[in-house]
Amino acid sequence: MRVVVIRRVKPLPFGGIIIPLISIIIGILLSALVLYGVGVPPDIYFSTIATSFLSPQILRSFVLLTALGAALILSFSGAVWNIGAEGQMIWGMIGAGYIGVFVAASSYYISPSELPIYQAMPGVMILDASPTKPVISVLHMAPPLGQALMILVAILLGGLWALIAGSLKAFLEIDEVASTLILNYIAYFSFNYLVSEPLRGLSVQAKQFLRTDALHYALRFVRIPVPGTTVTYMEVALAVGVFIIVWFLLKYTTLGLRLKILGSNPNALKAAGVSTRKYIIIALTLSGLIAGSVGAMIFGANFYRLEKIDNIVTPPTQNMGYTAILVSWLSMLDIRAVPVSAYIVAALMQAGSELQARLGTGGVSGIVSGSAITYTLIGFVLITFTILRVFTEYELKFVRGEKSGE
Amino acid sequence: MEEVQTQKPFFENTPGLSSGEESLPFLSARNIVKKFPGTLALDKVSIDIYPREIHALLGENGAGKSTLVKIFYGIYVPDEGDIFIQGKKVQITYPRDAIKYGISLVSQTPQIIERLTISENIILGLTKYGLISRIKNIHKYLIEEGEKLGIKIDPETEVWKLSYTQKQLVELLRAVILGAKVIILDEAITFLPLIEKKKFYKFMREFTSKGGAVILITHKIPEAIEAADRITVLRKGKVIGTVPKKEATIESIRKMMFGERVNEITYERLPLSQPLNETLLEVKDVWVYGDYGVYAVQGVSLKLRPGEVIGIAGVAGNGQLELIQSVIGLRKVDKGRIFIKSNGELEDITNKGTGRIRSLGVGYIPDEPLKFGVSMDNTIEENLAMLPTISKRIIRWRRIAELAKKLIDEYRIVTPSSRTQVKLLSGGNLMKVLVSRELEVSKKMLIAYNPTRALDEVTAIMVRKVIKSKAIKKKIGVLFASEDLDEVMQLSDTIMVMNSGKIVGVFPAEKAVREEIERLMVM
Repeated sequence: MRVVVIRRVKPLPFGGIIIPLISIIIGILLSALVLYGVGVPPDIYFSTIATSFLSPQILRSFVLLTALGAALILSFSGAVWNIGAEGQMIWGMIGAGYIGVFVAASSYYISPSELPIYQAMPGVMILDASPTKPVISVLHMAPPLGQALMILVAILLGGLWALIAGSLKAFLEIDEVASTLILNYIAYFSFNYLVSEPLRGLSVQAKQFLRTDALHYALRFVRIPVPGTTVTYMEVALAVGVFIIVWFLLKYTTLGLRLKILGSNPNALKAAGVSTRKYIIIALTLSGLIAGSVGAMIFGANFYRLEKIDNIVTPPTQNMGYTAILVSWLSMLDIRAVPVSAYIVAALMQAGSELQARLGTGGVSGIVSGSAITYTLIGFVLITFTILRVFTEYELKFVRGEKSGE
Repeated sequence: MEEVQTQKPFFENTPGLSSGEESLPFLSARNIVKKFPGTLALDKVSIDIYPREIHALLGENGAGKSTLVKIFYGIYVPDEGDIFIQGKKVQITYPRDAIKYGISLVSQTPQIIERLTISENIILGLTKYGLISRIKNIHKYLIEEGEKLGIKIDPETEVWKLSYTQKQLVELLRAVILGAKVIILDEAITFLPLIEKKKFYKFMREFTSKGGAVILITHKIPEAIEAADRITVLRKGKVIGTVPKKEATIESIRKMMFGERVNEITYERLPLSQPLNETLLEVKDVWVYGDYGVYAVQGVSLKLRPGEVIGIAGVAGNGQLELIQSVIGLRKVDKGRIFIKSNGELEDITNKGTGRIRSLGVGYIPDEPLKFGVSMDNTIEENLAMLPTISKRIIRWRRIAELAKKLIDEYRIVTPSSRTQVKLLSGGNLMKVLVSRELEVSKKMLIAYNPTRALDEVTAIMVRKVIKSKAIKKKIGVLFASEDLDEVMQLSDTIMVMNSGKIVGVFPAEKAVREEIERLMVM
């Protein structure tokens, strides 16, 4: 008796669900073992993971990861590896921030004596009530228009940022993995420059902390009234919209089909009379557009201002641009599975930070930080998945007979 | 299933072998069954391969030839049945098992690394020499081994500089040096011109005289009869019979291969078309670079009329491929112009891109169909919908499915469904998907290179008839090049001969003399 690995003629039934599920279970078990080694009690670990799957707090990351995962699937189906969603989101934030703080509304110094007049005036927000140099923010347009403009410009800048890497690959054959990754850091530092100089706010805090003034209340995205969650209507609408658009593109348009063929045989595409350059650029730009819109959400639904990134390891994007790679990978590039894997990944991320809080009193958190736990867990899931994934295309077969060659 | 572990030798079944030779088959298959979704690829196939014989495996597309040798080579594992090596039952589950047993496979596409030299390619698999050996000694060894088999090589030549034939010979040499006892040639020499084929025949004879065996897969009957000692015919996954060379005739083998459909085979010239008296395509003094920086096409001019079929004959590598590629826009024209009629006027489409050219109603059957024709991971429907001339922005899958069904019926494509990935189809059926799609989009013109490559005789003739009838009835202009002179003679209204990048002869089909064309081809 010997075991051989052979290629499947038919794909594994339900492989798209079973394989990720088993990977997650094995990943959780393996990470529990490792974390037990550094002093994390397994019972607490498991119970935290279990509860995090039901926590309303994961809603927001679930929604944003769904949008980002769908964005990456577009480019990954064309075998164009967009590792640059981080940078594209950062430019989305910059775009939304600029419109929100400088165009749809803007800030002004006023004389201290005028403060009571403005406090009573509708449409005016007091940014800084300092007795010497008060700052107000004045709305210049209808809030829905302002919000739409914020998102639109965010989409545009995100797409343009991705277009750089797309053109480099299409015309100079520069590998997009390296270029998109490097462009992330350029985006972080451009962001820092912009908030430190040209976009820096007028208020005292803005002067102190190198940041823009805050977004006018009326332009902030409205939260869904569910206790425990911070997700906004806008984010949910975006995720649903992106999901439907990407699904439609991949299933019913030549654009989606040609992206898939770009991924499997670009030569056939060329002979069919389709420019592969064009589709490489489309793949990156489309996913950049979506990532840009997510950047607008991070600004308009959560931070309300742009602030210098002190530690590049913890940008305001929370590294979701990288986490989304895991989401699309786990969904095996099937758009329909994206929400499921986004939900799972969001829960695992939540489990990490939850654990840190719970273990804080136990003294373990000094050694193991929340994000370290999250990445250990996600790392194990990913490794297991990468190994198990083989079985969607191959199967084990037991054959009788002696071993060959002996 | 009860199967004896040791095969009894059966002398009466080994004609073609000189008496007193080894009578135990080197490689045997017994009752091999292999199923693919929707098809039974092999149905209880049994076959014996003896040392010192060249054994041809013949069959139409999808007959199971490739499946059988892929089982010998460990690419597929049979569902049922056993394999014996020298009477001993074995399991071959990976190519490395096969190589260990002395089975080597040489396929249509050379599996060697272009950037490395010949010796580097061969050394990769060599265990005779350790990590530290003098390169000089290895080179000497390679040259000697090559000479033993009648292959002259310079071990330091980079592989990309070699011709197709030379690459295949290097592969054969590597197989022998790695200790091959059976070499399987899977359509490896089908498209070589006769003079090149002779080199392989010589090699095969040298190899078998030293005790080796060759399995020659082909769908060309004359080739099998000329080269092989015994011929086994497969049809629809079953062995129809094995005959020694002496008893084989083209007619008898054809009958075995195609059964009733044998009557569809004809090599008579197809009826001539009556081209309209205008110009559809004009190629004007075109110069095109080949892959290695020299002009492959050197000042070719030709005119194609609507309804006319121009066939370019020539030995592979004389610029036909580059000419065809430049007309369809896949290769840059360096000097000269190309025009295609569009809206009543000749439009200059030189270097305008394949998309523009195809949008004028031009279909294209490329050389290397797996690389340029279809996308293997996608379904038949997706491979249809990918063409800009079939689908605009939104894909209407119902319409595509209807088209797929029509083509599957019309061309007898064997497939479980139109949503099957094309990589699961046999080579011939895959080619049919491509050919049928391109004929569908050829509203004005068809450009092709080896349009019936890898198709069996019946299907190839069917495809030629479809092309010709489209030319006659719909006044489509056809420009094709083929390495198969039979094809050029049968299909063309006008025959051109290309040699060293130039058109060296133009003949109306009714006045073409085969000997004259052959002379110009090798001149």
